[in-house]
Amino acid sequence: MAAPFIEMRDITKLFAKVVANRRVNLSIGRGEVVALLGENGAGKSTIMKVLYGLYHADSGTILVEGERARIESPKDAMSLGIAMIQQHFSLVGPHTVVENIVLGNVRGIIDARACEGKVRDLAGRYGFDIDPRAIVRELPVGSQQKVEILKALYQDARLIIMDEPTAVLTPQESESLMGFVRAYAEAGNSVVFITHKLKEVMEVADRIVVMRSGEIHGERKREETDERELSSLMIGHELPPLPPSSPAAEGAPVALRLELVNARDRRGVVCLRDLSLSIREGEILGVAGVSGNGQDELCEVVCGSRQASSGSVRLGERDLAGVGIRERIELGIGYVPADRQRDGVVMEMSLAENMILKSSFGKVWRRGPFLDLRRIAASARKAIEDYSIKAPGPEALAKGLSGGNQQKLVVAREVEGSRRLIIFNQPTRGLDLGAIDYVHTTILGEKRKGKAVLLVSTELSEIFALSDKIAVMYKGAIMGIFPKAELSMERIGLLMAGYSGVGA
Amino acid sequence: MINLLANALLMSTPLLFGSVAEVLAERSGMMVTAIEGIFLIGAFSGFVGAYACKSLLVGLAAALGSGVVVAALYGWITVYLKQHQVVTGTAINILVAGLCSFLMRVFFGVPVIPLTVEPLKKLPIPLLSGIPLLGPILFAQNALTYAAYLIVPVAWFVLYRTSLGLTIRSAGDNPEAVDVAGEDVDALRFSLVLVAGAMGGIAGAFYSIGYLGMFTTNIIGGRGWIAFAICFLGNWNPLGALAGTLVFGVAEAVAISMQSSGGGQLVPNELLIALPYILTIALTMARRSFNVPGKLGVPYAKEG
Amino acid sequence: MKARFLDLLVSVAAAVFLGLAASAAIMLFLGKDPLSAFGLLASSLIRDKYTFADIFVKAAPLILTALAFAVPYKASLFNIGAQGQFYVGALVASAVSLAVGGRLPGVLGQAVALLAAAAAGGLWGSFVGFAKARFKANEFLISMMSTYVALAIMNFFLRTSLMEAKHEYPQTDSFDQGVWLPLIVGDTRLHAGFALAVLIAIAIWLVIYRTPFGYRVRVVGYNADAARLAGIDSKRTYVATFFIAGALAAAAGFVETNGVQHMLVQGFNPGLGSEGIGIAILANANPIGIVFASILFGALKGGGVIMGQMSGIPASIIEIMEGCVMIFVILSYFARSIVERRREKRELQRRMPA
Repeated sequence: MAAPFIEMRDITKLFAKVVANRRVNLSIGRGEVVALLGENGAGKSTIMKVLYGLYHADSGTILVEGERARIESPKDAMSLGIAMIQQHFSLVGPHTVVENIVLGNVRGIIDARACEGKVRDLAGRYGFDIDPRAIVRELPVGSQQKVEILKALYQDARLIIMDEPTAVLTPQESESLMGFVRAYAEAGNSVVFITHKLKEVMEVADRIVVMRSGEIHGERKREETDERELSSLMIGHELPPLPPSSPAAEGAPVALRLELVNARDRRGVVCLRDLSLSIREGEILGVAGVSGNGQDELCEVVCGSRQASSGSVRLGERDLAGVGIRERIELGIGYVPADRQRDGVVMEMSLAENMILKSSFGKVWRRGPFLDLRRIAASARKAIEDYSIKAPGPEALAKGLSGGNQQKLVVAREVEGSRRLIIFNQPTRGLDLGAIDYVHTTILGEKRKGKAVLLVSTELSEIFALSDKIAVMYKGAIMGIFPKAELSMERIGLLMAGYSGVGA
Repeated sequence: MINLLANALLMSTPLLFGSVAEVLAERSGMMVTAIEGIFLIGAFSGFVGAYACKSLLVGLAAALGSGVVVAALYGWITVYLKQHQVVTGTAINILVAGLCSFLMRVFFGVPVIPLTVEPLKKLPIPLLSGIPLLGPILFAQNALTYAAYLIVPVAWFVLYRTSLGLTIRSAGDNPEAVDVAGEDVDALRFSLVLVAGAMGGIAGAFYSIGYLGMFTTNIIGGRGWIAFAICFLGNWNPLGALAGTLVFGVAEAVAISMQSSGGGQLVPNELLIALPYILTIALTMARRSFNVPGKLGVPYAKEG
Repeated sequence: MKARFLDLLVSVAAAVFLGLAASAAIMLFLGKDPLSAFGLLASSLIRDKYTFADIFVKAAPLILTALAFAVPYKASLFNIGAQGQFYVGALVASAVSLAVGGRLPGVLGQAVALLAAAAAGGLWGSFVGFAKARFKANEFLISMMSTYVALAIMNFFLRTSLMEAKHEYPQTDSFDQGVWLPLIVGDTRLHAGFALAVLIAIAIWLVIYRTPFGYRVRVVGYNADAARLAGIDSKRTYVATFFIAGALAAAAGFVETNGVQHMLVQGFNPGLGSEGIGIAILANANPIGIVFASILFGALKGGGVIMGQMSGIPASIIEIMEGCVMIFVILSYFARSIVERRREKRELQRRMPA
């Protein structure tokens, strides 16, 4: 057999705090679709970033078509025909589609019309419906991803690496992406698909490589394996099943009620449309939907960082119109935000200081005019113990903690600080399985305590495992609220894409 | 009135050099907070060069060169060492201020009569300066002002119609995209800082050898910062910078003419002197910046 | 933690040393002898009580203008207007001192002048914070421009209503002795203003690091988004920190007019604002560090004046020294981050099995 297109030998990559890749050996053939499977933190993105020249390996070699290759930058990778589409797109928002595609690929005076023509042709060839003159930041995420793909195609890429591409797509957009992958591979090109979703892997991959803790833990051809085997390779052991969640008490009082809530963003665009829902004490309402359909705005309207333009938001009997964030915290609303580093944690402050983030106003931590540092530290120590946060002590800076431990810190703080309602927005994004399990157990614990729980997540498995009722959001409106038992994967997929037809 | 407008254009010249240079640098993500120091060293070197060699050309060359040197120091620390732009700029401004007074004293001691050079002469363009109204305003200026006329269209063209301009604009919003496209973000930013050094140096020299004909330690008096402010107020666009510059040029020309014509009876002198600064404050509050380059002021640090 | 503190001390000391060395190089380049000049500087400082005490006289207003930069800095804001806030304070302190001197008992008169100055400076400064809060205006530019406006205002009053009786120079009459700040060491110029400045620095440290308000200022400075979701109003923080900063710089104005000059002179102490910024950076915005750094700058300034008088080196060498020290401090930040990163990587490589 001819030498594989790409071969990576013995690649090791260290970061300041962790070994990301340990002696990884990987090969990719021409016309092959390779799925790189593993949970968060397994090292999949890292190894591909080494191939793409974003990272420099600490040891090991890369061979392209049998020849040693020096890849020191993405430019080197591109000249060898290797392109990568990352989770966070490298697009310039305020620029047009053409400007983005042409960046770095054109010299001297730009002939706008010629470039536009070329882009239009390329898009047409693969069936992408994109206006070259559109401003990128105004495009839906699925289209932005297509712009990234066009950029790679414009430069004649022979290998496209995609990092978790379906995280931001509707089920229908994912289908269309899979179609592109198959067509592209059939034309003799290669694709590496980084993901943690078993279903996609079985759909589109020729060969599957499983990674765990920075090492390769198995390689299988698609025909020779199934989801269960892959899952156990990925995880390494059986997870204890979650304790069965008791059904919510029927007659419990309603803790949160939204009625016909509308909201607009800064530019006047409607982001929430006649939204109504209610959550009882001791009940978990899961909100499913592709990200970007108003879920964040829903959380904001409840926690107070966004005002509804019409409709009412009630906590128990209390109307929250005009009630600010600080007061809502005092009323007992907790919020675990989606972007923990930006919204949940002050990275430069210590664990102890982060614990009092929402409670600095009251008398609780005061001794005279000053802060009672000893009591704050003691309370932080208890949280570290109760939530198994891996940290040297309450003085440790938040930025020194791993993502999972930072999330535990936020969860601990919000759980302690909320009395009536707690909102979880993408609580397990980017976490390893151990931390995910912990968060799930905590969420169920909150329900047992009698709090109302609003759970927003793009991971359908999470929604199904934890929720009592499930709401599906699409373009700022609720497509329906159903008891868990009444929904199937297929139906939820249709609802997420905007089809509100009846029938299973 | 014609005199006033001609003067306005004259006073706009250094602000135009400075603000357009700032626009180019800031579009790539770099705030050149050392701009005040660059203006000052330009004024100083321009004067020293012109006085010592009895040639304005040598003065201008010295101004340009010294501006580039100061900008290089600033650029090295902020672009390559990734240190804080405001803090570094402040340090350099203090150092340059000290250096200029120090060297002034060392070179010339304390002269009884202030030293002067012959400032730039007006060069009326033969036919065009005869046009009624516009002629004396636009075409009877000095060489630097004529050079300034070219700056805006050139900068605009480069920024919006060339691949270099596309790269510059992209670097200020998402430097990673530029990096991935194979361009060197740091080298680009550093070069633009050097350009700002050159243009700022010339702008500074305008005050000493282009207009006043002498050098005093507070000759710049915050005008480097006004050029910096004009970049903000002009929405990071060379045309906007032109508009902002003209507004300030008019304000400054009005202040000067009122002071010399004894307008100090109606309006206190101090208010006239403070006018450009009050104007900056008012405009800074009024302008809701739409076009701030997304990553302005943030050093670009690669991960791996 | 101990290692990091040691790192900080070593790098600051190295930066100061290198900064002075760089200025020495400049002196050498221009044909002056740096060794004798520095020797002169050092010996003159400890030579007599008067000169030594003068170090602290010069340090006093610097402590306050440095704090005026440091407090907003904790909220990630840049106050470049301390010089103008200083002038506003000096102006109001002078006006009040002239009005009440001799009519109110000494200490009361001083207190009134100080409070009036602080209030005026606070209001002047809070304007910048308000512009930032309400209009999202760039506080850097506005605070900087406000200095020139304050200067114009001060000059106006010096030319008109506050001008001395003789109407010869743009300055005020001398204050009545009752409102002079008392001396704390006889035969020197060292007045109570220094003690006041140190006490204020300690108070600011307590506020920033030990009170809920200071905690919230720091949260806003580190992460305004998280602050918002925690119910902390950033806008109020902007106004509050700029008010405090303005009051601090204005107090420096009071300290100078009532402690040293005993009158208001046009354009006096024009560098206090930028020097304050330099000191705050050197001390990493820590109030206690600011006290020590101010004393260092006070020594440089005092020594620089003497160097200028005795050895023919112009007094502006002081600014050169200050600028060089600041630049080396910035370089030391860079050096420290590299050292830190290498240390972490080495640690990891040690722990990884072969």
